[in-house]
Amino acid sequence: MYERDTDVVVVGAGGDGPALAWRLGQLGIDVTILEAGPFYGNEKWEAPNDAPGGERSGNPSDLSGKLYDEQFTSKEADMNDPVTGKLRWGPADSDRPPWQRTVPQQALISQLSGVGGTTQHYYANHPRAFVTSVDDQPHWPIDYEELVPYYQLLEETHPVEPAPTTPKAEVFFEGARRSGYDLNDGYNVTEAGYRPFPNAIPQPDERLMRDGGGDVEEDNVPGGENGQYRYPDYEGDTLAMHEHQGGPHPRGAPMRERARRSSNVSLVPRALDTGNVEIRPNAFATGILTEGGAAEEATGVEFRDTWAGTTERIHADVVVLAAGCIETPRLWLNSGLPDNGWVGRGLTTHHFDFVAGTFDPDTLEALIGQRAVEPHQGQAAGSRVDVPGKGGIAVNTFAPGITAMAMYAAAQGEWAFDRDTAGEPWDTAGRLAGRQLKEQMADYRRTLTLICHTDDRPRQENGVSIDETTEDEHGPVPLVEWEAHPEDDARRDDLARRAAEILDEAGAEHVHRTDAAPILLHMQSSMAMGKVLDTGCEAKDVSRLFVADHSALSNGVGGANPTHSGQALALRTAEAVAERYFGGVDDPIGSV
Amino acid sequence: MSHTRGTFAALVDALVPETPELADRGEEHVPGGLAVGLEEAIIDRVNNFQEVDGGVLGAAGYDATPMAPAVAVLLDTAAAELLVRRRSEDGFNSPAEAFAGGPFSRLSREDRLRALRLLEDEGVFPRLADRFDSAALGTIQFLASSLPILVEFVYYSEATADDGEERSLGWQQADYPGPADGYPVGMGYEIEDFEENDY
Repeated sequence: MYERDTDVVVVGAGGDGPALAWRLGQLGIDVTILEAGPFYGNEKWEAPNDAPGGERSGNPSDLSGKLYDEQFTSKEADMNDPVTGKLRWGPADSDRPPWQRTVPQQALISQLSGVGGTTQHYYANHPRAFVTSVDDQPHWPIDYEELVPYYQLLEETHPVEPAPTTPKAEVFFEGARRSGYDLNDGYNVTEAGYRPFPNAIPQPDERLMRDGGGDVEEDNVPGGENGQYRYPDYEGDTLAMHEHQGGPHPRGAPMRERARRSSNVSLVPRALDTGNVEIRPNAFATGILTEGGAAEEATGVEFRDTWAGTTERIHADVVVLAAGCIETPRLWLNSGLPDNGWVGRGLTTHHFDFVAGTFDPDTLEALIGQRAVEPHQGQAAGSRVDVPGKGGIAVNTFAPGITAMAMYAAAQGEWAFDRDTAGEPWDTAGRLAGRQLKEQMADYRRTLTLICHTDDRPRQENGVSIDETTEDEHGPVPLVEWEAHPEDDARRDDLARRAAEILDEAGAEHVHRTDAAPILLHMQSSMAMGKVLDTGCEAKDVSRLFVADHSALSNGVGGANPTHSGQALALRTAEAVAERYFGGVDDPIGSV
Repeated sequence: MSHTRGTFAALVDALVPETPELADRGEEHVPGGLAVGLEEAIIDRVNNFQEVDGGVLGAAGYDATPMAPAVAVLLDTAAAELLVRRRSEDGFNSPAEAFAGGPFSRLSREDRLRALRLLEDEGVFPRLADRFDSAALGTIQFLASSLPILVEFVYYSEATADDGEERSLGWQQADYPGPADGYPVGMGYEIEDFEENDY
């Protein structure tokens, strides 16, 4: 068995692990990150889905924008197919099926393996937690103000900026204004209001303004060249709307200059720059190594090479779990570590719903000076309404396949043709099929699609355990269960009604509510600080074992998109690791 | 046509059928999933859903569990339940010759979808899963609800385009031009910078 030593081993190079690794690297601490999936855009793996390639990458010069352009085609089946796509929860080897989870209910899990994790398809939405969700709800053992210095560092680093207004955003803003919402212009949200999304996407070149001389019509020609918005001529956002397909724009840029700041683009290069961080993809952690019996202490990680099938070990002074809300508790439980009743429990999901409004061309002409919404142009999610205590409503736009899947197929309950919507603020509701689906999709370019993120609350009955009856090569598979509480349903219903009102006020001629089945995309709080972890995110029952992913969040941060809070907390946890086990931090970002 | 392929064809036909009634929106809106072989694309995915880890299937040379025939049988079971429980609104009225002849494929389009729903909720399998608190039985709910998601996603993605074709039928019907490098559609900024406001 291959064995080696390092200072800190991190399990998972997703949204949050690289934030922690970057900070530890800055502090001179050696870090190895084990990542179960592939490493796209890296010269060590020229064909990451076809061959094992190299073993590890620790040099920023390994990063390759050229390979990233070849691999990330912006096509939705090629990238997003949950079974065969490049961005899926599965091994790098594209000949193999996805990895298994036992999900005994209607649900869709939308989580990714690979360096960058689920941020590979995220929309770079970086709102802070709603203040009330940290300071007033009973879950957090620390105050909101303790997160703020870490939020600020990330806002400066990525950077995080107000999204530009685009035609589809203006339709939403006008609907929100007419519905009585005021503009929220602060980072710290305490009252209901509308605002541009704080997004980790550098703002576009002035030539990409509507009056900047470009020609949208020409850009819409099917199969047209459309090659004019490329690096180095264009830097920052190009308003191409391919975040869900990997967001590789501007084409031609080095990895670290890509506009959508997924962790593989923004934080991984910075972590590698420190010279103290290396990433080993294709390495699935299967066990946490411990010593000590009653006073248990983590000493390393056992993992499996997903190509060779060999088992290896890495020993470290500190182990950090950053494998996400499902695999972190699975790894913990499969390692036989103590369970105080909250390991894997308390999962929050933002209990999504979707509401779509279809507009007639004359209404749009009067509102935004064009005769279609054009959901495929501009940032995927650039505008939102915040409702502290309930959640948020945001424009969420997708290419057609994802639109059909999320908006019209992934619903629960009766099919739309069997539902009566009399007296409701939507004309149709539920899953669409047949002529109804085809008509709705034929109106794709005249339709504005909104998402509702519910402030759902942690409950012990929701979460991740182990399906002892089903094993894959990494041990018993995780069993994932999540059900809405009636109070969460009521909050979601409130948000869906607000979303319908915004669309109606903007002049929509037809409003459709999805009534979505559980979609596990935003996941939080399954290893919560205050329950499983102490205030430094070290395990209460196992020393030298920390958690630095969204599972460490104490709740669903009010329904705000969780990446910003997950990364902020991971930075804070890095300082706790250094403070407790590596001689302290000379110049801390915040206080731990 | 095999029973499996016929049953999946009936599923595809229920979700994204041929719609001659949409011809006035343009001829491209008439064909549906069967015109682009969508049933084969779905069978391929269902058969590549779960890896084989040794065992009898592994010894027989399978890399993944061939689940599609089992799913087709489940759909027939659900069709039987729909009929027995008098939930069918249309009875057997589908042009059965087009498909494989199992009970699912002989239901009307809407009844096929009502049958599918019995596998997700309310039907015998969900009730048994609930009664015996059985995760294994509960996964049938997950599998059943994955079917419309897969069908509608694959249909409206580029996956069903022929080699060399710029856009799939789904992309044409949505009037989606395909990937772009950018769009000059900025309208300025509602806010230039966020404030570090009090809280």
